Amino acid sequence: MGLLRAGLCPGLTQDVVQLLRGRGIRTVVDLVSADLEEVAQKCGLSYKALVALRRVLLAQFSAFPFNGADLYEELKTSTAILSTGIESLDKLLDAGLYTGEVTEIVGGPGSGKTQVCLCVAANVAHGLQQNVLYIDSSGGLTGSRLLQLLQARTPDEEEQAGALQRIQVVHAFDIFQMLDALQDLRSTVAQQVTNHMTRERDSGKLKPALGRSWSFVPSTRILLDTGEGAGASGSQRTACLIKSPRLPTGFQETVDIGTWGTLKQSPALQGHPT
Amino acid sequence: MCSAFHRAESGTELLARLEGRSSLKEIEPYLFANEDSPVLGDILEFHGPEGTGKTEMLYHLTARCILPKSEGGLEVEVLFIDTDYHFDMLRLVTVLEHRLSQSCEEVVKRCLGRFFLVYCSSSIQLLLTLYSLEAMFCGHPSLRLLIVDSLSAFYWIDRVNGGESVNLQESTLKKCSQFLEKLVKEYRLVLFATTQSIMRKTSHLREGPSSAFTHPSDAGVDYRPYLCKAWQQVVKHRIFFSKDDSKTSNQFSLVSRHLKSNNLKKHFLLLEKVGLSFVHMYHKMVFLQDGVQVLKSL
Repeated sequence: MGLLRAGLCPGLTQDVVQLLRGRGIRTVVDLVSADLEEVAQKCGLSYKALVALRRVLLAQFSAFPFNGADLYEELKTSTAILSTGIESLDKLLDAGLYTGEVTEIVGGPGSGKTQVCLCVAANVAHGLQQNVLYIDSSGGLTGSRLLQLLQARTPDEEEQAGALQRIQVVHAFDIFQMLDALQDLRSTVAQQVTNHMTRERDSGKLKPALGRSWSFVPSTRILLDTGEGAGASGSQRTACLIKSPRLPTGFQETVDIGTWGTLKQSPALQGHPT
Repeated sequence: MCSAFHRAESGTELLARLEGRSSLKEIEPYLFANEDSPVLGDILEFHGPEGTGKTEMLYHLTARCILPKSEGGLEVEVLFIDTDYHFDMLRLVTVLEHRLSQSCEEVVKRCLGRFFLVYCSSSIQLLLTLYSLEAMFCGHPSLRLLIVDSLSAFYWIDRVNGGESVNLQESTLKKCSQFLEKLVKEYRLVLFATTQSIMRKTSHLREGPSSAFTHPSDAGVDYRPYLCKAWQQVVKHRIFFSKDDSKTSNQFSLVSRHLKSNNLKKHFLLLEKVGLSFVHMYHKMVFLQDGVQVLKSL
């Protein structure tokens, strides 16, 4: 979008494009912001035709405002909250993953991010009978692991097969492959992404990777950490809510990623893990 | 010793209230007391890192505008331009329902009828949309508040598209800033625009145009101007949002700086499930030995 060319919109012929270009009007913005009377005189074009052209270009390339009441109606029918299948995680997320939002799971290596993704995929495909698009850029997804999770939910092989069929896997090992996969997605979805941790340069504190420009994008962020202190076994993790549009941050839950669900959690602790 | 509530209503506010005119000066008395109130034609910038309450403040101000007068609102229309697809309608509805005395669907829908939302996905689309919205401002005289959340969303994309030339990189945003100023003055609007702190604050002061905008009192504020000069020039009032690093995770602070008068004010906010509220600042009168009274903030 930008350059004026023949056929871009009705009324924009090659002749008109040439005449305009001759006067330094090359882009849509140039034409829309120009003084049309002056342009009409200099280019020998009809003022009325230029005004009509401007209106058509604006209608075609500008965004259309929605009324709040209409939007609200539509939202009431199309929004859903998808349970992750992990009770403690659902608590941190205020019932689950919201459609229309991006939820980020961040943690160091071995903290259980991929495990959480697999659990969620299995729950949505089997428990909620919905389709899942799993974009794997780390190679952590295996069919056998998914099957294991489903087998823990139901012994019925047909159900397991049905759930597996609802999970579409895309391998994307560079950003362009990932963008391609996302372009094809049309319906209202809830998005869950994982991110790695990195160290802040000055203070040495751990913080999510990808920097500030990314950090604005997700509405919700959960930090996974290997649990510390007495009683922390190999498969226990603490999940801490560090960003949320709905709930106060700082709450922690304990998740056992070894078993399917959670163990009896300690009462929600406040405070930052690092 | 006695404690006095620190908020004085200015003369203009009193007049506006008595005359029943819906002036946007009343939009948020705690934030905009006395001569720093946003006058129609003003541009205000909310700046801060993510998760510090900028968008929440926008919902707070929007609710104040679209609520009917009977419920403590200003009953004016609001146009919200969303550039990063972050707008959360459910959140706005929650804030509205909390403020209404009886929150039924009908009333909420009527309030939302005064709210308009536009999504823009590039700076060129933003500019063209502003041009086509001009007709909307003509046709809606009760449309008083324009919000852009956020103005910095296309910063990196514009930089890539502009190549090596800084002028090219900034040209669309410059045109947007100039056109916004024109719209705001011509149609007597107030513009609130958010910008995100995507640049780290340099630890040492640098020579150059950017240092002209740093103020000694900004030392505590993580602010490094990166948007084009044209934008810096149209902003009247800049408000910095930050989160208190302490354990209480729902308290935020903001520092408001009026660029002409250089008045600096600090406020504290509490963000709760039902919306945000200002923490009242109380002052104490302290009597010194020689009888001089001093206001000391608690």
